[in-house]
Amino acid sequence: MKTLGTNSWFWYSLVTVVSWGAVGLLQKLGTNRISSRSVLIWVFVGFLVLVPFLSFSPLSQLSPYLLSIGILSGFLNALGSLFLFLSLESGATASVAVPLTGLFPLVTVVLGVSILGERPSLLEWVGVACALLGGILLSREPEPIVGS
Amino acid sequence: MAKLGADKIAPGPLQILATAGTLPLALMAFIQLRLRLEKDVRGISYGILNGVLSGIGLLAYYAAVSRGKVAVVGPVTSLFPLLTVVLAFFLLRERLSRTQMVGVALSLVAIGIFSQ
Repeated sequence: MKTLGTNSWFWYSLVTVVSWGAVGLLQKLGTNRISSRSVLIWVFVGFLVLVPFLSFSPLSQLSPYLLSIGILSGFLNALGSLFLFLSLESGATASVAVPLTGLFPLVTVVLGVSILGERPSLLEWVGVACALLGGILLSREPEPIVGS
Repeated sequence: MAKLGADKIAPGPLQILATAGTLPLALMAFIQLRLRLEKDVRGISYGILNGVLSGIGLLAYYAAVSRGKVAVVGPVTSLFPLLTVVLAFFLLRERLSRTQMVGVALSLVAIGIFSQ
């Protein structure tokens, strides 16, 4: 048994999987009732709810470059969300559209290996392949029921 | 992008910056809606809860990429649709195809490998 310390990244990732998994459902439930743009505004309000719990002090020590990287990552994330809301609003099912958005690591893996020079181990590559293939298969639209 | 930031910025401040980055799009959406918001209480609650949970997920994601390789954390965190598909199946009665079931199985294998 490994302790939480050695692969703590995995447990943090699991928190992400559970929160974002529930978010996928909420996105569909939200866009069923209000417009994509309204959902985006309320998501922003949800972000604001978290802000008082976060520490501001380290911000003053960051360079303008790092500050802009942080802001840009939030902007790109919100832009991606908006397009997902639009697809859900126009009738995409949550069980197809949300898995498609799960393919973002295709881009992340390419960038991580090419720009940051990361070298995942063989077993890690097998895991990456399973996760990516799993994501692709999950996003396949179910065949319509014959005779319905 | 998150990895470039998470290497040097702690998750908390990074989330604050990401919130700031969301502001222009939220404002743009508000202007496009001609400064009028819909008043569906359940829709609003879903939206806010969506924001809170995606923020918590993002905080955990930043914490994960700062401790592991982004080329591995990316694919693992991308398994979140697994839960969405299962929840959509039970709560929204969306159908699951056989291909999607294979996808679920492969995703579980990936979780197994990375939890070693």
